[in-house]
Amino acid sequence: MVNAEQQPLRPIWMSTLAKAPLPLLEQCVETLEHLPEYGLLRAPEIGLAMVRGRAEGTGPPFNLGEITITRCVVQLGEFSGFGYVAGRSKRHAELAALCDGLLQHPDWQDRVQAQVIIPLQTAAQEKRNTEAAEVESTRVNFFTMLRGEG
Amino acid sequence: MITQLAGFNDAVHDAQSTFRALLEALARPGIPQSTVSLTPPAGLDISCAAACLTLLDLETVVWLQPGFSGDVRPWLVFHTGCRFTDNPKAANFALLGDLGSAPKLSDFCWGTAEYPEAATSLLIQLPGLTGGKPVTLRGPGIANEIEVMLPLDTRFWQQWESVTADYPLGLDCWYFSQNQVVGLPRTAKANFGEAAP
Repeated sequence: MVNAEQQPLRPIWMSTLAKAPLPLLEQCVETLEHLPEYGLLRAPEIGLAMVRGRAEGTGPPFNLGEITITRCVVQLGEFSGFGYVAGRSKRHAELAALCDGLLQHPDWQDRVQAQVIIPLQTAAQEKRNTEAAEVESTRVNFFTMLRGEG
Repeated sequence: MITQLAGFNDAVHDAQSTFRALLEALARPGIPQSTVSLTPPAGLDISCAAACLTLLDLETVVWLQPGFSGDVRPWLVFHTGCRFTDNPKAANFALLGDLGSAPKLSDFCWGTAEYPEAATSLLIQLPGLTGGKPVTLRGPGIANEIEVMLPLDTRFWQQWESVTADYPLGLDCWYFSQNQVVGLPRTAKANFGEAAP
């Protein structure tokens, strides 16, 4: 079970794990040595989910389209780690689930936070900054000119 | 609560072979079929657990007999995503562990004249598949007749007589014990050596 203190943090780390590029995630998980034994409660499986949206966030829901999702659940002692990632990478889903399980484990959470989550978040932030800098040079501003009516 | 037990070892092939065993069981009433092996939750037999994983999904409504251990429900929810009902008439599948305290067969849905296939399918766990009074079955899928010794009482077979009398309405049952399953489709007429009251 996830304790109350961790509950608000869990969506953040799950999202970080799901959006991380797989090679970087592999690299970070490799730095955690002597990983505990774990079993697969739900082996990685690929499926579809319907993404729904609301016009302007408040309108009636509509179906935006289907997305391929891979999910996996690992069993780490008494903890169950869930991984849901976009795409068809079973390895990515398994690693995300494993990290989610480890982050619930009192002996592992600090290490995983420091060696996996923080580096992934830093890398994501850097990528965003680089992209922002790249498009900054071509920024176009639009103005509505006062037309002098009334 | 989340279950701590995995489902099938090989989801696709295990489900396929279990489905074949279940079809075979209904096609050849009275002949035991074997299902694959897995680790079932406490209170479920291997064959019954395999049948649940094969037959139940997000769209099926299940009536679970009260009295099953607390491990069964979370395991079914996690691995199949099925929904539960308290009303036996509304169920697509009913999971029974103790026929003595179960509702009467007439309390389940027998289908309608337009949709006889909408009847509840009964998944019944028994302590064994032999050891009861011999009963002779006749019907499609049975060459001449076959004798079964399911541990079911006369009261059950009397109810079964009314199930088969209303064909095409009726119930289809599977009996599970350990890794074996025996089918009893609504077409199987039973002769249990006593006239109906």
